Formats: sequence, C-alpha cells, structure tokens
Amino acid sequence: MVALVFLFAPLAIVVLFAFHETNSLTPPFEGFSTRWFSEVVSDRAVRSGLMTSLRVASLTAVATFVSGTAAAYGVSRTESRLKSVYAGLFLLPIALPALILGIAMLSFFSSRGIALSTTTVVIAHTVFVAPVFFVIARTALDRVEVAQLEAAADLGAPPWYRFRRVILPQVLPVLLAGAAMAFVISFDEFIVTFFVIGSESTLPLVIFSRLRRTIDPSVNAISSLLLFANLAVWLAAVLYAVRLQRRRRRDSLAQKETRT
Amino acid sequence: MRSDLAARASRASLLVATPPALAMLLFLIAPIAVVVVYSFLTGELFDVGRPATIDNYDSAFGLEVNRTMVWNSIVTGLVTASVTVGLGLPIAYWLQFSAGRWATPVVSLVVASMFAGYLVRIYAWRTVLGSNGVVNTGLERVGLIDEPLGFLIFSRTAVIIAELHLLLPFAIVILYAAIRPVRPDLLEAAEDLGAGPTLRWRQVLLPLIASPMASAWMFVFIVSSSDFVTPQFLGGVRGQLIGTQINRYFREAGDYGKGAALAVLMIVFYAMFYALIRASLRLARLHRVDWG
Repeated sequence: MVALVFLFAPLAIVVLFAFHETNSLTPPFEGFSTRWFSEVVSDRAVRSGLMTSLRVASLTAVATFVSGTAAAYGVSRTESRLKSVYAGLFLLPIALPALILGIAMLSFFSSRGIALSTTTVVIAHTVFVAPVFFVIARTALDRVEVAQLEAAADLGAPPWYRFRRVILPQVLPVLLAGAAMAFVISFDEFIVTFFVIGSESTLPLVIFSRLRRTIDPSVNAISSLLLFANLAVWLAAVLYAVRLQRRRRRDSLAQKETRT
Repeated sequence: MRSDLAARASRASLLVATPPALAMLLFLIAPIAVVVVYSFLTGELFDVGRPATIDNYDSAFGLEVNRTMVWNSIVTGLVTASVTVGLGLPIAYWLQFSAGRWATPVVSLVVASMFAGYLVRIYAWRTVLGSNGVVNTGLERVGLIDEPLGFLIFSRTAVIIAELHLLLPFAIVILYAAIRPVRPDLLEAAEDLGAGPTLRWRQVLLPLIASPMASAWMFVFIVSSSDFVTPQFLGGVRGQLIGTQINRYFREAGDYGKGAALAVLMIVFYAMFYALIRASLRLARLHRVDWG
C-alpha cells in the first residue's frame, strides 16, 4: 500500500498543479483552471513533437513486428547450434544502458557519414525494443505444439501456409501486444533519441527543453495528458485481455458440453 | 524421413531469423565496435582523428571529477538496486501468497505506473522535493522545520529517490513473474516437515528465485547508475553520475575519444560485475535449480 502511494503521489501532484490557476507550482493551491491545457493544445511545438513521436513510434512498432516475429520464429523453431548466438544477439540491448546504445549509434552514424533524422531514431528504437518483443514473441511461439505443424506438413501444407494458418492464428494477439509495447516504449523513449535525432523533436525532447528552462505549468499539462492517454490505452488492453479470457473459458466450457 | 524433414525445417527456420540477426550485427555490434575503436583515437571537434592513443583511458582514470562521479554512480546503483529488490521481494511474496483477489488490481496499478513517462517522473520529483515543493512547504506548515531542507533537492539523495520511483515497478514485476510459478503447497509441505521461516526461505524459496532476483538487481543497478538525465535535473553539483560526463563529451565538448573510453570502461565494469554475481550464485549453488 505504502509502495503504491509512493508510486502515485508524485504523479498525482503533477496532475493537480496542471489545473492550477497561477503559474506557481507550490502550495497552497490557489484556484482551479484549465488554461494550461488549452495553451498546450494550441502550442505548435507540442503539436509537431506529438506528430513526430507518433510517426516514430508507429514505424518502430511495424519494424519490430516484422523483424521481431521473423527473429523469434526462427530461433524458436531451429535446432542449430547458432540458436543461442542468435538469441543472445536479440537480447543484448537490454543489458546495455540506453546511454551506451545512444552514443554507439551516434558514433556509428557519424563514422559512416549518415545524417541524423527520424529514420536513425527509428533504427535505434527498433534495436532498443528488440529484446522486449523477442521475449514476448518467443514465449508464445514456443508454446505452439510441434505435433500440429507435423500434422499440417504430413497433409501437404507448405511452410508459409503452415505459418499463416497454423502458427499465426495462435500467436497473433501476443505479437500485437508486443508491437503495442514497442510503440509505447518508443513513444516515451528519451535517452537514445537524444543522441540520434537531427533537427526534429519528439514529444519527450520538447518536454526536455522546457524542463531545462524553468518551472513551467505547461509541462504539467502535457504530462497529465500523456498520463491519461497511457492509462486509457492500458485500461483498454486490460479490458481486452479480460474479455479474451472470458471467451476462452466459455469456449472450453462449450467444448466440454458438446463432448458429453 | 521425419528426421530429414526436421533437419530441413531447422535450417529453414534459421534462415528466417538471419536477416534480423544481420541487422543486429550492423546496427548493434558494429556501433559498439566503432565506440571501441574511437576510444583509442584522438578526439577532434565532434569527430575523431589519428594518431592512435591511450590518452583517453589515462584521463578517464586520472581526472578527479571522474572519480567523484564514478563513486556517485556506484552508490546510487547499489542503494537503488538493493532497496528496489529488498522492497520488491516482500511485495511479490505478498502478491503471490496472501493478496488473493487483490493481486490483479495491485499488479495492474504497478504496471500502470510504469507508463508514466520517464521525464514526467523526474519533473514530478522536482516539484515535490524543491525548496518550495510540497514536502518542504508541508513540513514548514506543520512547524517541523523553519527553513527548506537543502539536501532534499540537487543532491545524490534526490537522484536516488527518483531512481527508486522509476525502477521499483520494474523490480516488482520481474520478481512477481519469478515467484509466480512457486506453488504455495511447496512452502506448506516444507512447513509440515518442520522447517521454520529461515529454513523455508533459504532451502525452498531462495533457490527457486535467486537467478531472476540477481537479474532484477543487475537491471536496476545498470539503469540507475548509468542515468544522466535524472542527475541533470535533480543532482545539483555534487550528485552527478558518470553518465553526465559521457554525455558532456559527446554532446557538448565534442571529444568522442574520451567519451568512448569512459563508455568502454563502463561496459567492461558492468560485464565483470555481472560475471562476479553469477559466479557467487554458482558458489552458493543457487544458479540452476530444476523446476520439476
């Protein structure tokens, strides 16, 4: 309980002062107003940061979904001695501090003469989130029964068809959840982005530049909006998972009934 | 024929994973290699040049300011990792064995707090701990203090508090995932056989979760000790971590050589530290327990 208070109290204070009438962030609380929200919503820097962040996070999610699924599928099905080498490669970024990944990417791009842009950010983010997606996807893929695949093969289904019709339907929800994780992490990522972005700004970089200047209630308003958006996405995911579970339970009950 | 088919499937699967693996080589291993090479070159304005040198390592060890920052990083990492795992463990235990129907909502809330942005949390602590912040004004109002507590913000303490806030949810989630497969009847059986709390912990629970516990500890240690953004806003002059210096070399001074040398030393330190933890787990016979 105390831990939950510790986790949420500072965030609650940020949200509270987002509604403060004056631009002071110190108690006492002097009056309720939504002026900071309307200021933020019409702020051009915030808007363009938001658009950049959405673009980067979407591209990262798609790139992660495609390459991560191939990686997890290959590693989960192969019996080659290279299996653990491959797995190690996909898991390595989680052992590296984001700072190291950021400066490594910066050094690499500058040594190759590649200009920094949102493209370099997407590349860096895709590497950064690879371990998370890989772990999630591999757990699901490992659970697919080999017997099913062998049965499909015996019935003459070619590899792609086996993947498409036997494996994918079983793991797609998990893969999509993994891609959503990639989106969320990329959307919030600051450290790696800080090193490999060119002239554009993602939303975290916009917040960073305001944080540096001075105490600014518009940061509270942006933070609150982000917090609510994240919580809404999270709530939707939880509700979806609960519904899925209920449907599964119903299906298995129905199966039992038809059997008897 | 079956084995032939299996062998072919195995090779084909490896082929599917090869393009992403090559991408990782290009965008992860090659960049790290570039950093290693850079660490032996002379830094120029936002670039490096010849001749090859070991001066970067010399200055990495020689600079007084680096030593202070390294010390701060180690203290911050040790405290954050130990406190988050120390708090996370009883919370995970409670969630698994006694929370009952409270487990799901509490875990959901903990995970939800992870979604509050990184910068948002730092900002939150700056408002809370500041000299006009909620804590100081509150204490003054109550009459416990006459003037703002100076050590609350712009100090290592402030950095550690923010790191705890950032990483406690991760520790709880990792430890909860580790403890979830431990069935309650396992502990009950040990109790029935006369094992007291200490023995149950040492002989039953610890061997089952030691490995993920070490991973959680190391993860928190790495993230908190390498941070440079939190110290920038909360650390003041004396609370800076070594990441601050690396960032400064790369983004401000433009001396890629010196920055790269510090980065290489950092990676080597983490790798050696982790190897040490693994080795001590092995010595204590806690490294690989069969789940059965």
